[in-house]
Amino acid sequence: MFDKEFQKLFDLANKKNIDKFDFILSSNKSLSIKVFRQEIENFTSSDQIGLGVRVINGKKVGYAYTEKFDEESFAGMLEEALENSRIIEDEEEIKLQDFEDIEKKIKIYYPELEEIPIKDKKNLAMQLESIPLSYDKRVIAVPYAIYGDSIRFIKIANSEGLNKEYKTNGAYSFAYCLARGENMNKSGNYMDNSHKFSEINSKKIGETAAQRALDLLGAKNIESGKYPVIFHHDEAATMLQTFASIFSAKKVQEGQSLLRGKLEQEIANNKVNIIDDALYEKGFGTRPFDGEGYPSQRTELIKHGVLNSYIHNTITAKKAATKSTGNASRSYKGSVGVSSSNMFFLKGNKKKQDLYKMAPKSIEIVSLAGMHSGCNPISGDFSLSAEGFVCDKDGRKYPIQNFTISGNFLSMLQKVTAIADDLELNSNNFGSPSLLVEELDISG
Amino acid sequence: MIKKSLIEKVLLKAASTGADFAEIYAENSMNSKIQLLDSKIKKSINGYDYGAGIRVIFGTKAIFAYTNDLSEKSLLNVAETVSKADEGEEVISGVNLKKEEVDNIHKVEVIPSGVEKAEKVEFLHKINKSARENSNLIAQVNITYSEIEKNILIANTEGLFKEDSRNYVRISSNAIAAKGGEMQTGVYRPGSHQGYEFIRSLDPDEIGNKISEQAVTMLNANYAPSGKFPVVIGNAFGGVIFHEACGHALETTSVAKGSSVFANKLGKQIASKCVTAIDDGTIPNQWGSTNIDDEGNPTQKTVLIKDGILKSYMIDKLGGIKMGLESTGSGRRQSYQFAPTSRMRNTYIAAGNDKIDDMIASIDRGIYAKKMGGGSVQPGTGDFNFAVQEGYLIENGKITKPVRGASLIGNGADIIQKISMVADDLKLAEGMCGSMSGSIPAGVGQPHIKVDEIVVGGRKEQ
Repeated sequence: MFDKEFQKLFDLANKKNIDKFDFILSSNKSLSIKVFRQEIENFTSSDQIGLGVRVINGKKVGYAYTEKFDEESFAGMLEEALENSRIIEDEEEIKLQDFEDIEKKIKIYYPELEEIPIKDKKNLAMQLESIPLSYDKRVIAVPYAIYGDSIRFIKIANSEGLNKEYKTNGAYSFAYCLARGENMNKSGNYMDNSHKFSEINSKKIGETAAQRALDLLGAKNIESGKYPVIFHHDEAATMLQTFASIFSAKKVQEGQSLLRGKLEQEIANNKVNIIDDALYEKGFGTRPFDGEGYPSQRTELIKHGVLNSYIHNTITAKKAATKSTGNASRSYKGSVGVSSSNMFFLKGNKKKQDLYKMAPKSIEIVSLAGMHSGCNPISGDFSLSAEGFVCDKDGRKYPIQNFTISGNFLSMLQKVTAIADDLELNSNNFGSPSLLVEELDISG
Repeated sequence: MIKKSLIEKVLLKAASTGADFAEIYAENSMNSKIQLLDSKIKKSINGYDYGAGIRVIFGTKAIFAYTNDLSEKSLLNVAETVSKADEGEEVISGVNLKKEEVDNIHKVEVIPSGVEKAEKVEFLHKINKSARENSNLIAQVNITYSEIEKNILIANTEGLFKEDSRNYVRISSNAIAAKGGEMQTGVYRPGSHQGYEFIRSLDPDEIGNKISEQAVTMLNANYAPSGKFPVVIGNAFGGVIFHEACGHALETTSVAKGSSVFANKLGKQIASKCVTAIDDGTIPNQWGSTNIDDEGNPTQKTVLIKDGILKSYMIDKLGGIKMGLESTGSGRRQSYQFAPTSRMRNTYIAAGNDKIDDMIASIDRGIYAKKMGGGSVQPGTGDFNFAVQEGYLIENGKITKPVRGASLIGNGADIIQKISMVADDLKLAEGMCGSMSGSIPAGVGQPHIKVDEIVVGGRKEQ
């Protein structure tokens, strides 16, 4: 697809005597349907496309992009990129090249999804609202009942012969419920990601969201102190997502990561394994190549507690005298950076129930708020308002609210003493099983 | 951007299956960003954002679609997509657009894209130099200059047809201080809805010193204590507390659903008597100001709370239909990729009569949250959490030691009743606000205020 446009772009680059460059084109068709009180409250359909260029002018790099697809805009974009390269003061050797393809077959495009009639999608969104409401009369509203899907197409080509593309699609279904108890409202939500429409279980989504809200009704306050803490797998994944940038080699080289200089050191409890896997079958961050066209791979970041690798693109890898891990990020609007694909804690061999047994008088965290204000990914410090449960050896005893949990992400990794086997990935492609942390500060 | 006759044709098509209203928003924008890091210009990127969004409203249902392709064929195609989302008898049988000129109250003297990149580069270097010379603990300085020139067109089946141009410039700077493996940041992000003359009015040394001092102060601080304390919240960006904890709950997006704690409270006392709060889009060149909102209505100065009594919500077209209220010119969106919804402009607590010194003197043991960080609020419950970027202990009526890692946690409806003092030193600051209709420039502000009790999440001193 878009071969004609790319031919024109290559011709224009030649005409301007630009000899080293790459282009990224991304196109996205998406749909989202939001239902409220059994009516469609929002219906959004998009057909979006954008094109970005990177020009390598000696040792200087300039970027530009356009969403307008005509010859004049293409030429203007190349001119701007060239002009931008001229003010760059950071000289770096960038070697563009063609890369081999991955060997493993990955299935990331499911044509069935495109054949589902809009009517069926509307019905599903309706169910995401009606199921929680009929599940329990204390569920008073479902402010967010949303179905959405998208098809994404990526094409990358460079002056050294690389020319690759892929297409991927997926659907998500989300329910967010409010439940009313005595003197309080509590919320609960559940998000499902699927490749196949027939596999979306609206009953499970709606009932889980409702139950999560109901479970928190009657929440009490808790006394400040140090407690063993169990992170529900969703919340453990949220923590990893918030602090994921510490694994970026770019952040490390820029002096903005607390993992700088820690390679091969024991930074976490030896039970902890964290990987980034762009080939992970169940992930939605799965893709055949990254933002530079480099083949995807599985990378062990923390292995038995030891920091084994950062995530790299070819530029950071060159600086660190190592190989890219296939983690180049690139949107048409942005520059080449580093980002995770599917990043997650490997599952352990404990059952969730075992975690309660191991730490009588623990607190289980099931909701965290204020991630972007209460976490500092540079220092690792966090202080978050949370909801959860007081637990004993048999499990959850009663819900608690109005407290904050605070600590430091790295010290927390050192205090992970047990890992359950309930690994799940969230919609942002971060995942974790439930984790037991020996001790964290709770203030009520 | 698009011919009038084509717009009329597209709107009519979009409304052809019984919609009560159809609207098109087209945009042609230029963006530019220059980033300095490691004392070098690392990145420079330019781009054109281009596209159109079409919205139709059936009763209280909103259908929206967008595209980058503004050709007749593509626009008619999008119009057909939105029309097919619902079906009924045709309500609108004709569209007669009347072009109306927009009065520009945000004067631009120097078009940013006309300024040599070399001048912008030199400005970034000056900030970097001051920040690093201020302290040898500064390990990194990251500064981005950004400019946006946004040209928009809005037309609807009621005959509205307007075009407007908006210029934004901003410096986003942070410094990292490091010592013994620990790091802390200092942040300052001044911006304005005007031309490059705003950047020329800033003192780069002052910016550099500011971020450097903040980072170093926090590096030398102990962890904040946890518990309930009286808190004095600083002016300017301190207004983020009101923005997050109350502002979002006063948008019709949440009020119309009844999910806001402030639903059905018009005319009622919802805050302490010393609280008057305003959302104002008319302040010339202010970050969150506009000439018209993104639905084409003139922007307004809306008094939200007067002496503690709720006077108005922030209302967009759809929210107005749902609640039976007139728009307050509050319909905003990030770009053509978002349907508009009710959003804040420049939201602030008005100046009172108290003095900051008296506030501090009134507290035996508490926290002075001099600079706030970002925050968030849980819709439905009003529970909020935001970080203190620069905080101090108050002991026996005096500001004593700096403290770090603190966050303020509470509930919006609860906290505005606990504001006991409001100072006379109102200032505004600039932020980016993210919500359903994307990320938009929003001003926040307040004078110093004293809240009698807030939960401070910190860590006990080790």
